[in-house]
Amino acid sequence: MSFFDTHLLNLVVYLPLLFAALVWMLPGAERGQIRTITFIGMMVDAVFGVWAYLRFDPSGAEFQLEYRTRWLEQLGVSYHIGADGLAISLLLLTVFLGPLVVMASQTYITERVKEFHLALLVLQTVMLGALVSLDVLLFYIFWEAMLIPMYLLVGVWGAEDRQMAAVKFFLYTLAGSLLMLVAIVAIYFISSTPGNRSFDYATIFNNLSTAHSQIAACTGTGGDCSTLPGMAGILYRWGPWLFAAFAIAFAIKVPMWPVHTWLPDAHVQAPVAGSMILAGVMLKMGTFGFWRFAIPFFPSAAHQARPLLATLAVIGIVYGALMCLAQRDIKKLIAYSSVSHLGYCMLGILALTAEGATGSAYQMLNHGVSTGALFLLFGFLYERRHTRLMSDYGGIAKVVPVYTASFLIITFSSVAVPGTNGFVGEFLVLLGTFKSSLGLGFGAFATLGVILGAAYMLWMVQKVFFGPLTHRENQGLTDLNLREFATVAPFLVLVLVMGLMPQPFLDRINPSTERFLQRAELGIPGSQVRPSDVQISVMGLPPAGLAAAPNAPTPGPLADRR
Amino acid sequence: MVPISYYLILAAALFCLGMFGVLIRRNALVVFMCVELMLNAANLTFLAFAKQNGHLTGHVSAFFVIAVAAAEASIGLAIVIAVFRSRGTVSIEEIRTMKH
Amino acid sequence: MDLKQFLLQLRLDPSALWLIIALPLLGAFLCGVFGRMLGRANVYLVACAAVAGSFLLSLSAFLSVSPLEAAQAVTMENAFSSGTIRYAFGYDFGTWFSAGTFRVNFGLMVDHLSGTLLLVITGVGFLIHLYSTSYMSHDDGYWRYFAYLNLFVAAMLTLVLADNLVLLFVGWEGVGMASYLLIGFWYSDTAKAWAGRKAFVTNRIGDFAFLIATFLIVLLVSAFNTQATAANFSMVGGNPEAAQVRYREGLQMKGPVAFQGLETMANALHVTPEKAQGGVNLQTPISEGPLEGRTFGGVLTVALLLFLLGAAGKSAQFPLYVWLPDAMAGPTPVSALIHAATMVTAGVYLFSRMSYLLVLSPTAMVTVAIIGTITSLLAALIAFAQDDIKKVLAYSTVSQLGIMFMGVGMGIFWAAVLHLVTHAFFKACLFLGAGSVMHGNADETDIKKLGGVRHEMKQTWFTFLVATLAITGIVPLSGFFSKDAIYHGIHHNHLHGYEWASSVIYYMGLLIAASTAFYMSRVYLLTFEGKRSPEAKIPHAHESDWRMTTPLWVLAILSVVALFQALPLMPGRGGVMQPVMENFLGPVFSSAERIAARGGEVKLDHSVPSIIDYLKAWLVALAGGAAAGFMYLKFFPSRAGQPAPAFARSVRRFTQNKFYVDEAYEFLVIRPVKNVSAILYKLVDTLLIDTVAVRGTAWVTARLGSALRYVQTGDAQAYAAVMALALLGGAVYALILVMK
Repeated sequence: MSFFDTHLLNLVVYLPLLFAALVWMLPGAERGQIRTITFIGMMVDAVFGVWAYLRFDPSGAEFQLEYRTRWLEQLGVSYHIGADGLAISLLLLTVFLGPLVVMASQTYITERVKEFHLALLVLQTVMLGALVSLDVLLFYIFWEAMLIPMYLLVGVWGAEDRQMAAVKFFLYTLAGSLLMLVAIVAIYFISSTPGNRSFDYATIFNNLSTAHSQIAACTGTGGDCSTLPGMAGILYRWGPWLFAAFAIAFAIKVPMWPVHTWLPDAHVQAPVAGSMILAGVMLKMGTFGFWRFAIPFFPSAAHQARPLLATLAVIGIVYGALMCLAQRDIKKLIAYSSVSHLGYCMLGILALTAEGATGSAYQMLNHGVSTGALFLLFGFLYERRHTRLMSDYGGIAKVVPVYTASFLIITFSSVAVPGTNGFVGEFLVLLGTFKSSLGLGFGAFATLGVILGAAYMLWMVQKVFFGPLTHRENQGLTDLNLREFATVAPFLVLVLVMGLMPQPFLDRINPSTERFLQRAELGIPGSQVRPSDVQISVMGLPPAGLAAAPNAPTPGPLADRR
Repeated sequence: MVPISYYLILAAALFCLGMFGVLIRRNALVVFMCVELMLNAANLTFLAFAKQNGHLTGHVSAFFVIAVAAAEASIGLAIVIAVFRSRGTVSIEEIRTMKH
Repeated sequence: MDLKQFLLQLRLDPSALWLIIALPLLGAFLCGVFGRMLGRANVYLVACAAVAGSFLLSLSAFLSVSPLEAAQAVTMENAFSSGTIRYAFGYDFGTWFSAGTFRVNFGLMVDHLSGTLLLVITGVGFLIHLYSTSYMSHDDGYWRYFAYLNLFVAAMLTLVLADNLVLLFVGWEGVGMASYLLIGFWYSDTAKAWAGRKAFVTNRIGDFAFLIATFLIVLLVSAFNTQATAANFSMVGGNPEAAQVRYREGLQMKGPVAFQGLETMANALHVTPEKAQGGVNLQTPISEGPLEGRTFGGVLTVALLLFLLGAAGKSAQFPLYVWLPDAMAGPTPVSALIHAATMVTAGVYLFSRMSYLLVLSPTAMVTVAIIGTITSLLAALIAFAQDDIKKVLAYSTVSQLGIMFMGVGMGIFWAAVLHLVTHAFFKACLFLGAGSVMHGNADETDIKKLGGVRHEMKQTWFTFLVATLAITGIVPLSGFFSKDAIYHGIHHNHLHGYEWASSVIYYMGLLIAASTAFYMSRVYLLTFEGKRSPEAKIPHAHESDWRMTTPLWVLAILSVVALFQALPLMPGRGGVMQPVMENFLGPVFSSAERIAARGGEVKLDHSVPSIIDYLKAWLVALAGGAAAGFMYLKFFPSRAGQPAPAFARSVRRFTQNKFYVDEAYEFLVIRPVKNVSAILYKLVDTLLIDTVAVRGTAWVTARLGSALRYVQTGDAQAYAAVMALALLGGAVYALILVMK
């Protein structure tokens, strides 16, 4: 076993932190150096990230590139990371966005440059950490830690109303997260007996799965399930509440209707880097959470809540699209389009069909690429004109042709024209919804988003780029320069590559989908899935360190002493 | 031998006197003395029970309380003097800076 | 080596099919990215060469599927049954995407239908590219223009070459996208840019239906796969059990949306329970999944109706035709290529491609035919009063497409395809002629302000005349034969349960033919005959150069020559001579024929029109033309200066405003959506969620905090009193508990 076998993911996660330390040591006045070091850090991270992605074997074990070591043993916590197909895909997206975000901010950020780049690097580490952590407490730590750099990005480098937006974003998300913390602690106590308690994802899931199959067997017969003995009874009674706690936390992050209103404000006020990361990666943490934690931990509760959640997702799709038609502010429009697109992701997960879930995972990547690129492109325009209102533009296609062409391509990707990446995801999600047991109405309503999507995106394009040049200030706009084009080009390439050759990406997602579906099916009344079919196998804890201190207290879970 | 209930009633009476003093007197010094009264009521209880049970723990506790009371009195009086120097009064009603 | 030998050698390897699409795509890339560096002449060269190369490849593909010697006929392995597909070849370039049981492959296929369309697309496409080099010679955006045009050709070729529904959809949306870009080509004009968006969004409504229909088809296929028994496959040929296994293998290999698979399913689906012998038939309810309880036939009909809505979007049929007249905002060659010859015929192609599914559902067929009739009549009537030469041609296109839909709906597929081809020739010729007129008259499009152009633009005049005669249906031009073949088929085919449709639609068709003759003669007369209008922009028109006239001549010749395809020259069944086109497309529609013959749901007729039929149609066309001649040569000129009666004026205004359909949409759909979104935004999002719920929570918390502030008096004794009271309360509570 070489170093990279065991530590590759660690490397990917902590490289940005290492470079953050480097940046921290630089004097704040050395802006060029700070930018370069950050960029190099992100690039190196991207290289390792791509390597990890390529090393991931679709036909291999569920969690790969695992690493586990002892940490806070008394609490049943261990430092455990590893990636499944979905996590590795999102990881790829995150490391892909990293260097581009730095490039995009080169001229946008002129104040507190050092702090800005520190925030970016730290944010990168915690986002990657949240994706790969296989210990629920570790996940929670990363999850909450994400808020801090993001809060700073919005609150310090944002636009005029940044304080309000940052506080709103922080409190909104925190409210959900705290509920989740309660649920995490509860599930920690429920899932096992004193002495064996653990925060490890696999342990908790495996312990719960037996109880879930008991619940499924009981609800299948239609009997009174509140009298089930042991864990099953507790789960039957409290599962819905715990699921709700998880679901609210993730739904806020997604964001689902009606807890979406932090998003437009945060996006509008955030600097270009903040918007890109927010849209590109952070929103997916919500859908990722549903996929990884909320649904597998509480399949029966999820099954009960499915019609409600799916309804909210469909409302989100149509409502988000309608909101876009009512906007005057370009960034707000793109933000609401995110609500609509993430609605597709949620619907795909809730469809509980292979097509839907795979499409949903793919749509997460697509959304990161296309909406990230939209924010990036608009950021360039904002830098030049410092206005976000559509009415302040108009007819600028003549002045900035390359910019317009890039924006159009991304727009087509966003409205899911076949041949671009958006189509594959949207098609699979909708197909999965039609195939699912949700009913045809959900699919039909969700498909309405296809029409509305074209309507609002092209409306915006029309207002901004076409028609006569109405404002004299726009006459002097300069087209994309080399640096800017180099930032956009990877997105353009990816839009086409992911649209025409989606299979390599889907191959890594598909096995995760299968496993996810089986785990979710465990919650269907009368489900035939046996707990042994869905067990998660991960690496065990490594043997205790040989050089333990002679008078160290004997290790034993603190939780014994309840 | 005096029954323990007598001691306890006396201690309760002393405690109540002290408590009401703390609650209604205006002068900080008087309030202080009332606090001492309450502490001594507690001491009395300790000693009464110690005598009844024949344990030394109660005595130890009483000494402990006396020590604490002495410390508290010295610091408290210092504060009162400091307040008097800055505000020219030791009336509690006048010292209400910790509001809203 | 003589020509025949040479042509026999010219065969395209199936694995090279992708080149047909890739060439224009490469052209689009080169023109779009390096266009300004390359310069004008090079862009012309690249763009035309790309399409010309594609044309040559298409030609060789066409020759491969329709060899000059019968012995060389190609056959293709059918992935879904043990049989082979005659006169076709294809190649599967591997998976595009797959998830769960769903899979889409990059599969391309050429048969006689797509081969014909390949030639039309690349052939007419090349002519229009050539024409454009002159037409766009004064425009600075030439590189953009040719990039879009090449992109369009590539997308259109994808559409016809695709061997499955999803890949077809790529072309379907791709042409929509290219059309959006080209309609809004002169984007600095707000109205033109809006027209592009209108076209795209209207098409998207169709695509919405197309997508849902595709999903229903996927569900239907999977239901069929689970429920079908070996009895179903007895009709597919070979051993039924083996055929079923083969079908399942096919599904795994090529996915549920491949046309071959749909054809096999259509062949295997019984029409009535009596004949099914336990197998699945159209009345069998689906046993599981989201469609549970609904019958196969019912779902199929719904899917086909949704496809109809999709096709209505792309092919500008009622109620989604409104985008096409506005699409005339684009450059005229674009109107000729996209909005007359190729893209708008995609709906006809789609239904011809899926003819085997269509004949399973007479309800869907009659709806297609009725929609076609309504569209055709409506558009013809609107065309009466339009003064913009391109608008008239646009409505005429809508009307002609309606005729094709009538044909498809009534099951006369080959004639619809023939009309598609002839229409591509003469309508492209008309549009290019109109473009030439505009070019020579300082971009004047109002026919009232033209007139007498024939003397100055002889070539344009002559070719326009030929094309006009062709579309009016005058013997012996191709339009006459193709249109009459459709009408004959409509009259003689019968749909089970809708027998009335045959004659009703037939007579409506005659009315449409007369109207067509009228408005086309009107356009022709007002533009080319008579005296030059005093309102003309320039005193004298000038003839266009050879790059514009050559395509006109070629297309005019083609619109005459194409008539041979309708002549009964080929030996058909029972010794009756068959029209060339019917014979040629026979393999494509053989499944539809077989199903129709088997089920009795649809009766397809194969007789050849008699001389009386021809005479009738001819008289109708002549009557329409003569009426126009009388009105515009004698009646109106003689009444010049006199005000028209109020009634006539109001009718004219009503027609000129296109029956206020656009306004109705604005009022019924667009405004409500806009208002609802504005109200939702203000009321629900801003007020209810953000202000009341979110800020409300913050407000309540803040209020509560400041209310509790007053408890904080700063009076230490008050705090102590509260503590004492609480202690007392606790003590009392404890006492009560002890006492109990």
